[in-house]
Amino acid sequence: MSLGNRIYAELQGDRSIWMIVIVLAIFSVLAVYSATGHIAFKYREGNTEAYLVKHLFFIVGGLVLTYLCYLMHYTQYSKAAPVLLIISVPLLIYTVAFGVEVNEARRWLEIPFVGIKFQTSDIAKLALIVYVARAISSKQEYIKDFNSAFLPILVPVLIICGLIAPADLSTAIMLFLTCVLMMFLGRVSFKYILLLLFLGVVVFTFLVALGQFFPDFIRSGTWVSRLQEFMNDPDGGYQIQHAKIAIANGEFFGSGPGNSAMRNYLPAPFSDFIYSIICEEYGLFGGFIIVGLYLMFFFRCVTVVTRSPKAFGAMLVLGLGLSVTLQALANIAVSVHLVPVTGLTLPMVSMGGTSIVFSSIAFGMVLSVSRYIEKTT
Amino acid sequence: MDIKNEVLIRVYVVLVGVILFGVLLFAQTINISVRQGEKWRTIGESLYVDSIVIEAERGNILTEDGSLLATSLPFFEIRFDPNSTAMNPEDWNNNIDSLSVMLARYVNNAYTPGGMREELERARAEKERNYLIKRNATYIEKEMMSRFPLFNRGQMRGGFIVRPNPKRERPFKELAYRTVGYVRDGHLPVGLEGYYDKILRGADGKKLMFRAPSNTYIPVEDLTAIEPKRGDDIVTSIDINLQDITHDALLRGLKYHQAKHGTAVLMEVKTGKIKAIANLGKTENDGYFEIYNYAVGASTEPGSTYKLATMMALLEDDYVDLDDSIDIEKGKYTFYEEEMLDSSPESFQSDTISIRRAFEISSNVGMGKLVQKYYGDQKGGDEKYVERLKDFNLHLPTNIEIHGEAAPYIKTPYSKDDDWSGISLPWMSIGYEVRITPLQLLTLYNAVANGGRMMKPYLVTEVRSFDQTVKTFKPKVIKRKIASEQTILKVQQLLEGVVETGTANKLKTNEYKFAGKTGTAQIDYRKFRAKANIKYQASFAGYFPAENPVYSCIVVVTEPKQNGIYGGEVAGPIFREIADKAFASRHELHKAINNYRRPVLAKNKLPDFDAGQQEDIVEVLNYLDLTYENEAESEWAIIRAETDTLSILNRSISDDVVPNVVGMGLRDAMYILENRELKVVVSGSGRVRKQSIIPGTPLKGQTIRLTLN
Repeated sequence: MSLGNRIYAELQGDRSIWMIVIVLAIFSVLAVYSATGHIAFKYREGNTEAYLVKHLFFIVGGLVLTYLCYLMHYTQYSKAAPVLLIISVPLLIYTVAFGVEVNEARRWLEIPFVGIKFQTSDIAKLALIVYVARAISSKQEYIKDFNSAFLPILVPVLIICGLIAPADLSTAIMLFLTCVLMMFLGRVSFKYILLLLFLGVVVFTFLVALGQFFPDFIRSGTWVSRLQEFMNDPDGGYQIQHAKIAIANGEFFGSGPGNSAMRNYLPAPFSDFIYSIICEEYGLFGGFIIVGLYLMFFFRCVTVVTRSPKAFGAMLVLGLGLSVTLQALANIAVSVHLVPVTGLTLPMVSMGGTSIVFSSIAFGMVLSVSRYIEKTT
Repeated sequence: MDIKNEVLIRVYVVLVGVILFGVLLFAQTINISVRQGEKWRTIGESLYVDSIVIEAERGNILTEDGSLLATSLPFFEIRFDPNSTAMNPEDWNNNIDSLSVMLARYVNNAYTPGGMREELERARAEKERNYLIKRNATYIEKEMMSRFPLFNRGQMRGGFIVRPNPKRERPFKELAYRTVGYVRDGHLPVGLEGYYDKILRGADGKKLMFRAPSNTYIPVEDLTAIEPKRGDDIVTSIDINLQDITHDALLRGLKYHQAKHGTAVLMEVKTGKIKAIANLGKTENDGYFEIYNYAVGASTEPGSTYKLATMMALLEDDYVDLDDSIDIEKGKYTFYEEEMLDSSPESFQSDTISIRRAFEISSNVGMGKLVQKYYGDQKGGDEKYVERLKDFNLHLPTNIEIHGEAAPYIKTPYSKDDDWSGISLPWMSIGYEVRITPLQLLTLYNAVANGGRMMKPYLVTEVRSFDQTVKTFKPKVIKRKIASEQTILKVQQLLEGVVETGTANKLKTNEYKFAGKTGTAQIDYRKFRAKANIKYQASFAGYFPAENPVYSCIVVVTEPKQNGIYGGEVAGPIFREIADKAFASRHELHKAINNYRRPVLAKNKLPDFDAGQQEDIVEVLNYLDLTYENEAESEWAIIRAETDTLSILNRSISDDVVPNVVGMGLRDAMYILENRELKVVVSGSGRVRKQSIIPGTPLKGQTIRLTLN
């Protein structure tokens, strides 16, 4: 059996999603290698390969992780979810209080003795989505009931999002929205959803108010300034203008791989603004492929859902699919100046260990569901 | 509606929403890239794309043999910004001590490490942003400093500022300094650098560069880029050895006489190429330096060296001959109340002498009287004399390739503007009331040396681009014949006479003959004549070797203060020194010491009994230039030497019997014998002395033993 056939046999489940993951990974390696050129000269004396190797390590590790998650039966996740969720609460509190500060935001926790940093919000995010999927699917019979169905879902969502928000508002909002959409899909009644949205706004307002007293813990100052910048400056601030210059420089087919000029001026060109760099180097054509890949991914998730015999599988795929897709679209929306500047990464493409690890796990879980649907049908 | 369908409908709603959001994002991307594209691209360009001028490398100035007279070397100006905004205070505190030590030890010894530190702290406290560390750092120094503590953090974080500062370097230092010249901002261009600036400078390039952070420039691919064109090299006629000789001789002469300034120019007679040009002026601290190009820019009353022109005029108009007599009135004569004096002691004792002698002892009265008689007292004579001077081109500049050549000056007869007077003519005849630069006067002497053909003096022979000749400057003739052959021959005799028995006879040498004329001019003689401290300009112009002139040379020394004032004792020895050394350095000027009939070759040295192919023998004898008689008719031959002649005789080689190969070279012998199927055994080397089988023995494939000497 040839290697191709072998791989084909190994990678079951939705093969389109496999393709999407692999194409995104390739884009990621190309774009990150180019975009790290400048910081490589700044911090590593021009050793651009250092970043490439590190990134390749994460990408390959991510793909392996995807494969492992794909191998596991997805119902296993449902069992692990409540435990993870409970662990993540103290972790998040610890992070807000004593986490490692990167770029003036306390989002990171360093594993002692190993020295690897990770964003606790990513663990919490994953745990919450699995938990919500499980809760919605298991309570389908009485889903419209407030006490027995809505409350058990609502409380963890508010707690987790409320804990993520102080250091990382955009992730919190994205997670909150994902959960709200999941409830909508899971037939939770509209009035409860509206109530949830209202509660979300209340919690947010409370945090902003609290931020006045604890500016070290809650970044409300940054939120306000970014919002003001978005509202007041039609051309956008420094970052946005450079993102636009990059997109405009790319024209239709881009200036070619490695030829980005704005990577030298955009802050975090390898993560937050990687879409602009892809547009600069591969043009509108490249941008179209990136947007298309995420839409395609979500479309494939929906296809999986339609064929899913079990509610939990369907809700899990929808939750993860929404999480990845919405984050991707939100990241792109920042680059094209449709929303204020956030710190959201482009899943599977941006450089950054935790982002890639958790995107990979999400893809793996979706693939796991699709594989067992294939087996049963 | 069952649960599953209700969920699916909601899923489709969300799917449509997500797709719409995605489409919106891509539409916005198109909006930015296409609709607003021009705007953002323009902003990007205005922020980060600069049109950078790339300075072309300046061409070199070379000597005639390609040595570098002037070249551009990369130097760097190193500055320090102790208040760079990106500099970390911690970095400053941690590194300032070690940086001070390095700077004090390796860059600026004037400071102790502590003093250096204080100086840097002061610069930092006073908010300096551009503190000079070193102006002309070499590449190696620059690299070294870039590794110093703090500096190794680069411009932004380390405040280490490097600016290219290419420097014009002259490997031969002050040799021909003024003639090579310079181009500097705020100064008039000087010398060849100035004259050929356009060629040397090349063309600056222009390039669009993307400005990356910390002011690094990355070239943008762009069709409008203009590559800088390196300046072309110019090859001068300067011979650096002759220049060295000339400079050195002039310098020593000036020092010996403590003169104000002086110049010496050496020109190649046939071409007008300037082989050496030295200009030295006394500096404030009593040294001498090339501060002005006196040879080109200083137009003065030349004095007696001008008498050459006077004699040429008299001879050309056929008024006199060399052996005609003239009464020099014991060296004192009055023209219209103005007294003219000679300076040679011989003049004071002589009255009627030959014109030749009058020239040789440089009698002013003699020349003055002759000119007064044949031109001044004749109708239209003044104009005729001036016209003659113009025939010798004494009224036109040489147009040498150096800016600022002073034009010669000759008065127009009867012109009020020129202050023409009755005594103008006699005084002009002895080199006053006219002005001329040393180079212009040398051009006349050179023409005389060149048999009347006047060559344009020039300095640059070639323009080269990357070692390829792009333009050649050929010698130019100003005037094919400035005077008749007769006149030229006669004045050549006169100039030789000056050295043989005249005012320069002390300079005479037996090594070679040279010709020339001394000159001792009083500077501003009218103004100073009443006073005691008359200033002089001593000069000597001439050429050598006299019989077949190769170089002409002029030496002018202005205001000698000690050890003599006369041309023959001040300028003449400098001329001699230049001529001696130039002569010694050019062996082709020397007479061959063995240039007589070669002795007849002794008989025992002549080739005798050498045999071989007739053709070869003839060729060798011809090559050796030996006379011979060829009586041979066969292919093979032998040489016989008589007492004083050589003859080539037949050597018969038969095909049927063992031939005689004695006297032949081994190659010929082998060829002959082996073609006759004999086996050859050889011993020794050289020519065949003996053969073991007697010639004439029938051939049977025997083995023949040859003994060579």
